[in-house]
Amino acid sequence: MPEIAGDKKIYSLLEVAQSIQKTLSKRYTSAFWVKAEMNKLNFYPHSGHCYPDLVEKLDGKVIAQVKSTLWKDDYIRINNNFLHILKAPLSDGISMLFCARITFDAIHGLALRITDIDPVFSLGELEREKQETVSKLQQEGIFMQNKLLKLPMLPQRMAIISVQTSKGYADFLKIIGGNPWGYKFFHILFPSLLQGDNAVDSIIFQLERIRKIVNHFDVVAIIRGGGGDVGLSCFNNYRLSRQIALFPIPVLTGIGHATNETVVEMIAHKNAITPTELADYLLQKFHNFSVPVQKAEEKLIDKVKRILTEERLRVQNTAKYFRSVTENIVMRSHHEIQQRVRELFQQSNFLLLNEKKACASSVYKIRSGTLTFCNTSRQDIKQFAFSLRKDLQSILKQENSQMDHIIRSIANMHPENVLKRGYSITLINGKAITHVREVKNSDTLETILAEGTLFSEVKSIKNQDPL
Amino acid sequence: MNDSPTYSEAFDELQQIVSEIEEGQISVDELSEKVKRAAMLISICKSKLSSTEEDVNKILKDLEGESDDH
Repeated sequence: MPEIAGDKKIYSLLEVAQSIQKTLSKRYTSAFWVKAEMNKLNFYPHSGHCYPDLVEKLDGKVIAQVKSTLWKDDYIRINNNFLHILKAPLSDGISMLFCARITFDAIHGLALRITDIDPVFSLGELEREKQETVSKLQQEGIFMQNKLLKLPMLPQRMAIISVQTSKGYADFLKIIGGNPWGYKFFHILFPSLLQGDNAVDSIIFQLERIRKIVNHFDVVAIIRGGGGDVGLSCFNNYRLSRQIALFPIPVLTGIGHATNETVVEMIAHKNAITPTELADYLLQKFHNFSVPVQKAEEKLIDKVKRILTEERLRVQNTAKYFRSVTENIVMRSHHEIQQRVRELFQQSNFLLLNEKKACASSVYKIRSGTLTFCNTSRQDIKQFAFSLRKDLQSILKQENSQMDHIIRSIANMHPENVLKRGYSITLINGKAITHVREVKNSDTLETILAEGTLFSEVKSIKNQDPL
Repeated sequence: MNDSPTYSEAFDELQQIVSEIEEGQISVDELSEKVKRAAMLISICKSKLSSTEEDVNKILKDLEGESDDH
C-alpha cells in the first residue's frame, strides 16, 4: 500500500512494477504473432536460455527494439524445427515471425516471451535475401564475372579457404595429395569460419589476404564439409557473393550440402557438390592435360616408327631397284665388251694378217734389193780393187824412182865420198870446228881426210870478212 | 622457337607437332628435329604435372610483408 506523506502518495518500486505487471497481464491476455528481425540471439550455453534482441529497421535504421526471452525448452524445439526446415539454426540477423506474450518482471522489466517461431516465414525471408543478392549481382553485371575467368590448364596452385580440422578439408587433401598419378598440387590453407554469423566477415578477410598474393595462385577453393546442411545462409550474403564474383582468379566451391545451391555456389567459377567432387574435378583437369600428353607421346612413337619403317622400305626398294638397274647395265656393258673383244680380235687378226703379208712382201723386196745391191757392190769392189791395184803399181813405180834418186843423193853426201872429193873435217878436242872463234893459237887440231888423219898446231888465225 | 615455353605453350606446341606428323607434313629430314623438340615439350608437361615451384615460406613472408604495410 502507498505511504501518504503530506500531499504526496508514495509507491515503492515493487508496487509500481507489480502495477505495471497487473495492467499488462490484464490488457494482453493472449499470445500474438509478431514480425521482427532478431538482431542477436544471445544464447547462454550454461543455462540453455536465449535472450534475443529484437529490432525493426527502416532503411537500415532501428525504429523499434524490444528485449525477449526464449526459454531452454522452447529454444531446443524451435531450433530443431529450423534445422529441419531451414537447414540452418536460429541465428543472428534473421527475419522471423514469432508467437509471443508480453511479460513484465520486477527485476528484468518488459520482455516478449517467445513461444514459437515460424520457420517457413524465415525460410521465405532467407530465400528473399538470396534472390535479392542474385538480382543485385545481375544488375551490377557481375553475376557471371568469376565464371568468365579463364581457368589455367593445370589449376595447380590453390589458396584453400576451409577449416583446418574439418572432414571436408581432410577428404579434399587426401584425394589430391594421394592421387596415384603423381600429380602435384600446391596449396596453402587460409583458415576461416564457414558457417554461422561470422562466416561472411571471416571469409571476406581471408579473400582480402589472398588477393595480396594472388599471383602465387591459380584458384581459390572454398571447402566445407561434414557440417551437414546447416548454416549455409552466409553463402547467400550479398557482400560475400560480390567479393567472390569480383575475385581476380577463379573461385571453386566444394561446400558439401544437399539443399538448393547458394548464391556463392551459383557465381563460383566451378561448384562441386562436395569437397571430394571438387578434388576429382581438379584431378580431371590434370587428366585432361596428362592424357593428351601421354597420347601425344604414344602417337609420336608410333608414327615415327611407322615413318621410319616406310622410309626404310622405300630405301630398300630403291636400293633393290638400283641394284637391278645396275646389274642390268653391268650385264649389258659386259656383253658389249665381249662383243668389242670379239671385234677387236677379228680386227686385230685381220690387221695382223695384212701386216704379215706386207712384211713378207717387204722381206722379199729387201732380200731381192739386198741381192741386187750386193751384186752391184761386188762389181764395184771388183772394179775398185782393180783400179786400186793399178794405181798402187803406178804409185809404187813412181816412189821407187824417187827413192833411187834420193839414195843416189844420199850416197853422194856420205862423208867418205865428200872426203874423197877433197873435203876434210877439222876437230878440236874431238869436236868438229865450225867457226874460227872456237880455235886459238897453239891449239892442236885434228884433221880427218879420206884416207887418214892429220895433227897440226895453229900458228895464226885469220878471220874471213863477212860476205 | 621459344626455348622455355610455359607448360600450356608446351602443350599446344606438342599437339601441333603431333598433328603435323599425323598429317604427314613433316619430312624425314625434319623428323629428328621435331621428335627432339616434342620430347622436350613432353618433359616440360610431365614435370609440370609432378612438381610445383612455389615456396610456402616465401609466400607467407610476402603476405606478412604486405600486412605490415597496411
